[in-house]
Amino acid sequence: MNVRSQANRGSCPRMAVGVTGVLLLAACASTPPAPTPNLQAAEQAIAAAERGEAARYARGELSEAHTKLALADSAVTEKKMVVAEHFADQSRAEAELASAKTSAAKANAVNGEMKRSNGTLVDEMKRGSGDKP
Amino acid sequence: MNTTNHSNVIVRRTLIATAVASILLAAACATAPVKPDGAAEARGKLTQLQSDPNLASRAAAAIKDADAAVRTAEQPELNKELAAHRVYLADRKVDTAKALAEARFAEDQRAGLTAQRDSARLDARTHEADAAKIQAATARAEGAEQKLAADQARSAAGDAQVAAASSEQKAAELQRQIDVLQAKPTDRGLVLTLGDVLFTTGRADLKPGATGNLDKLVAFLNKYPERSVAIQGYTDSVGTEDFNQRLSERRADSVKSYLTGQGIGSTRLSALGKGRSDPVADNDSATGRQQNRRVEVIISNPPAASR
Repeated sequence: MNVRSQANRGSCPRMAVGVTGVLLLAACASTPPAPTPNLQAAEQAIAAAERGEAARYARGELSEAHTKLALADSAVTEKKMVVAEHFADQSRAEAELASAKTSAAKANAVNGEMKRSNGTLVDEMKRGSGDKP
Repeated sequence: MNTTNHSNVIVRRTLIATAVASILLAAACATAPVKPDGAAEARGKLTQLQSDPNLASRAAAAIKDADAAVRTAEQPELNKELAAHRVYLADRKVDTAKALAEARFAEDQRAGLTAQRDSARLDARTHEADAAKIQAATARAEGAEQKLAADQARSAAGDAQVAAASSEQKAAELQRQIDVLQAKPTDRGLVLTLGDVLFTTGRADLKPGATGNLDKLVAFLNKYPERSVAIQGYTDSVGTEDFNQRLSERRADSVKSYLTGQGIGSTRLSALGKGRSDPVADNDSATGRQQNRRVEVIISNPPAASR
């Protein structure tokens, strides 16, 4: 009996070492979690840009935002979460730039149209007054 | 020994000092503020945006955001990947702030453009109104002219009406006179047939007291002095042609001389014997022969101009 219990007592520290090792490995495997909020923010920024017709006014930026988001997704698959977060943030910045450029282009287009029509109005008036002295 | 020891100490100290100095230098080099590549460019763009009077005051929040991103990017970073990432974000945020400011600037300009458009429209409308006024004035003047013309036309029409009325009256009067004469309108003119009751058989002088019809003719000719008269005598077929010819001539002459005797100018009168030609009825019966014995007085239609 005594010999047995001694033997049992001797195996305890070995088990503890094994458990600790497994825990450490597990901790390493699950590293930082996926940057889900950053990815969602990027997706939302892209959706907003597309709603604003960025495909028409800022095609380059919108395309770049899509590319960066795809890179972020790939990085998540490869468990490179820091890289994934960076790409997600870059995608969002690119999409926001696309939205801003679209707003500027639209505003300038409206102004251009107004300037043209004002010019036409003035021209017509001048011509009209020229015809009827 | 002492000397050796002393010089050894000096050498060791110098070595220590050099090592310390080089460590310090190395440390200084390592901590020197080296900005990551690209951060300076982002700062340059931001500074340009912040000094643009049209854009600096617009999109203030975005510009502040961009400024923070640039400052982060400017921090020395040994991790090259992180440094590049920060520069990337800073660059995009500066561009975004610039685009937003440009959009706001364009929107702010729109009020001015709207005012311009309104003023141009107002001018156009004023011009249109002026043109319309001129047109209206012209139209009024034309209207006045037209009214004048219309008045003149009306008065002319009135004259015409008066003339028409008077000519109608005249025509009615003529018709009344013709009715009195019992004359018959034909292509040749008004034909008045005087029956043989005027004459004794075989003779050419007018029966006294049988000149009632001729007196009406005299009255008519006095009323219408522009009309002339052709007097034609006819007989029936009894007797020789020669006799009847001469008889018809004499009877026509009788009528003519009666008319001249009543004051009708002989230039207005012509007399012609037609004998037994042109019978108007059958010579086989007494009634027919009586109808054929006649003098026709043809009153010429007046010349067209005086109608």
